[in-house]
Amino acid sequence: MGATDGGREPGSGQFVQRLAAATCSLLGIGSTVPVLAQEEPTWALDTSFLYYGESDERVQDLSLNVLARRLFADDKVLSFGLVYDSLTGASPSGAIPLNEVQTFTRPSGNDVYTVQPGELPLDDTFLDTRYALTATWQQPLGRLYTGSVGLSFSTEYDYTHAGLNFGITRDFNTRNTPLSLGAAIARDEIDPEGGAPLPLAPMGNIGDLSARRPGTEDKDVVDLLIGVTQVVNEHLLVQVNYSLSDSSGYLNDPYKILTVVDPATGEGIARVPAPGTAGPLHEYRFESRPDQRTKHSLFVQGKYYMGGKVLDVSWRYMTDDWEIDSHTLEAKLRWPLGDRGWVEPHLRFYTQTEAEFYRPSLPVGELPEFASADYRLAPFDAWTAGLKYGFRTASGNEAGIRLEYYRQDGSVPDGLLIGNQDGDALSPELDAVILTVSYGFDL
Amino acid sequence: MASPCEVLSRAGRTVAREQLRAVAEEAWRIEEKFSRYRTGNVVDRINTAQGTPVDVDPETADLLDFAAELHRLSDGRFDITSGVLREVWTFDGSDRLPTAREVGRVLGRVGWDKATWVRPRLTLAPGMQIDLGGIGKEYAVDRAALLAAALDSAPCLINFGGDLMAVGETNHVPWQVGIEAVGPNGGNPARHIALARGALATSGDARRFLLRDGVRYSHILDPRSGWPVTGAPRSVTVAADTCTQAGMLSTLAMLMGGEAEAFLARQGVRYWCMR
Repeated sequence: MGATDGGREPGSGQFVQRLAAATCSLLGIGSTVPVLAQEEPTWALDTSFLYYGESDERVQDLSLNVLARRLFADDKVLSFGLVYDSLTGASPSGAIPLNEVQTFTRPSGNDVYTVQPGELPLDDTFLDTRYALTATWQQPLGRLYTGSVGLSFSTEYDYTHAGLNFGITRDFNTRNTPLSLGAAIARDEIDPEGGAPLPLAPMGNIGDLSARRPGTEDKDVVDLLIGVTQVVNEHLLVQVNYSLSDSSGYLNDPYKILTVVDPATGEGIARVPAPGTAGPLHEYRFESRPDQRTKHSLFVQGKYYMGGKVLDVSWRYMTDDWEIDSHTLEAKLRWPLGDRGWVEPHLRFYTQTEAEFYRPSLPVGELPEFASADYRLAPFDAWTAGLKYGFRTASGNEAGIRLEYYRQDGSVPDGLLIGNQDGDALSPELDAVILTVSYGFDL
Repeated sequence: MASPCEVLSRAGRTVAREQLRAVAEEAWRIEEKFSRYRTGNVVDRINTAQGTPVDVDPETADLLDFAAELHRLSDGRFDITSGVLREVWTFDGSDRLPTAREVGRVLGRVGWDKATWVRPRLTLAPGMQIDLGGIGKEYAVDRAALLAAALDSAPCLINFGGDLMAVGETNHVPWQVGIEAVGPNGGNPARHIALARGALATSGDARRFLLRDGVRYSHILDPRSGWPVTGAPRSVTVAADTCTQAGMLSTLAMLMGGEAEAFLARQGVRYWCMR
């Protein structure tokens, strides 16, 4: 179609004039009154409220999420996101349960807390309120390209993040094959309570901050992504993404510790606080992670539309130079219910191998360069099963409610157990319930 | 036409009722006169003439003149004789495609160049048919709008199943028109258009297609080949001075397939393409 027809293709400037003339002739009018039609920018808002609760008085999170998109004429979009998180509860500190009472100095160095024999030590220091903001501008660049640029910012009492991101998408194959490239850079600043502990420094008594680094710590992250989506046919859409993430700087969790143990029995090593002060009753050391981490991820997703139902299946594989490998398999099926409603059961399975420097405890006398007992670096499997119910209200707005159950089962490789340590006690299960209520509307 | 039609008028109640009556009568008049489903009307006489010449009235002649001009301007993409292709194409979501031979046979009876039109006489070759469905609705909107405007200068909006024309004073709160999202949820947000004067017309997919071997054949047929256009958008809405112009631009954009947006961009008109 088109250009070979020599000047008379319906694309020359003459066309609109001649159409106007033909129309005036048809309608028997002398001329037409110019049209006055203008696109109104609209705001589309998506809000959701989430409750996350772990069993055994561990972490609870209440989160409010608002995304506002303003659509301008010419397909330009401005969006703002706001997330408010309120975290309470406590999280494993990395110390292991012992047969005796344990006392720990809080990260601030101002106080101690005590844990009963056999109990998994939990630390509530990190609980906090967090605000996150994002702003993105997206617009077409010519006929086949769309570009976007965005800012992200978040803050909580000991952590600040600022980031910049770019994206560009090009449509190929009459818009059946969009190819996307994205890049993001971020600078995070960590200001741990009491100052960042020196790597593998021993936990001291109240008031002892000698093994801390004054000032704040930095972390830089660079992310790159390339992805392609292919519309295979009327029913099937497939997407493949590869991404690279490189973090450097302070990658430790400043509040996580390891229990120092007897190499023969695996029991804790007793310690006496200095006279006149309080402090730990056993020896613990703060963790140490490398100051660099490179992650590669591959993500493959298929969406299959079958007469109103949508099946979404995806697999993500991640590997990094901390030797963590993980797979995430997820399946969702959206099932229409009545005229305006739908249900969506969903199932996710996650499995990861441990970081190279992960160890549940540290034998006395051993001081490796890197060590962490953070359960998030341990090998574990996790299942999520959930059900969402959504519907369109009479005014065309979308509402939804989702309930999910999450269960995580860790395991400690036998080779990392010392003496009489029991793998099950060292990596207890984690159960959580997640309830999300969402509502989307236009302004 | 088979679409719900409405008149929104800011004139006084009595005048508004008159406008509604005038619009409805004009719509029914045009439908009876130009529908290919009615027996005895001018289109039926033309389609059953079997090669003999038919003399038509001035209004019909105007429509044929318009169709002829658009056939020229569109390089043959717009063709009121292409309707017979529906004998071999049924867009029911199945995988039943016609064979090249079947299409070739019907194509012999398609083509405005095979008709002889010298006002007021139209001679079609035997087996040919005309179908004014491609311009009839928009023409009816414009005609009805002119009648409504003659009765009162207050703002008035004529809406025949999504093809709209706003007439009357322009200095008023515009009519709020929404273009619905098309396609899987989240792909295309609804658009809001403030229409103070002029027309909006939409050509769309209406879920009519055939699917075979993973290839989707849309229901927009190119009369020059007898085969569906590839890469057409799901829906195209155009804003223009009259509904006839808006309708023709949106129809032609669909006929341009993957080049729809480029075509409309070159015309300098406001448009919304959904894919």
